[in-house]
Amino acid sequence: MWIKASVAAAVVSVAAMALPAVASADATDDYPIPNRILKTSCTAEQIMAAARDVEPVYYERYMIDYNNKSPDVHQAVQDRIHWFFSMDYAGRRQYSEDTATNAFYEQLAWNWPNWAKLFFNNKGVAAHTTDVCMQYPPDDMSVWNW
Amino acid sequence: MTGIRLASIAAAAIAPALMFAAPAHADPDTDFARELHTYGIYGQKDYNAWIGKITCKRLDNGVDQDADKSAKFVFDQLQRGSTTAQAWQFLGAALRTYCPDKLPVLQAAAQQ
Repeated sequence: MWIKASVAAAVVSVAAMALPAVASADATDDYPIPNRILKTSCTAEQIMAAARDVEPVYYERYMIDYNNKSPDVHQAVQDRIHWFFSMDYAGRRQYSEDTATNAFYEQLAWNWPNWAKLFFNNKGVAAHTTDVCMQYPPDDMSVWNW
Repeated sequence: MTGIRLASIAAAAIAPALMFAAPAHADPDTDFARELHTYGIYGQKDYNAWIGKITCKRLDNGVDQDADKSAKFVFDQLQRGSTTAQAWQFLGAALRTYCPDKLPVLQAAAQQ
């Protein structure tokens, strides 16, 4: 009886181990950039507009930080985040892996370490913003003025 | 001896300061939290203060155009299970505390 149960358990655990391998999921699917952000079809401006409504304190703090940076950094941040969201899932995931494995990869981080905090740093925030971001206009640049 | 004297003088000097720091001069965030408590709205003092100030900012820069929009924004930030009435009470308290110049927005909504 005991032997039977353990064999069954072993079969189940082998199957459980085999399944994730098939899906080929690993940590880079959700880290450092949340999976929702890798997959969303929203623009940066849509995500920011959503954050302004559903994560107002997080948005406020990011914008305070942003407003303390120079116009050069503002432009670089906008260009970089537009570039990021212009990529497909595979490209975004590759970027996520590059930044996770090479601290020197993202040059912009030297100017502003938290430059993409509103987008990348918090899974809960990413979930809330990507839930509703489609409701907002895609090119409304006024979200950068706060 | 001089030590004791100095200490008592210092204490006397501090006492009025303590008296002046009494409720009349509390910081607005504390007053705001106290008022929210009377409506049964709890939660973190700093968080609620942020929401109050951001509510003012949204009216100021036109993200929210009227009190209905403000009340909806507030309602979305309150804990689950909060009532619409609490959202309006929060809104009134926020405008009175952080941006009294925006109170006409509330009056306009009341007259509709």
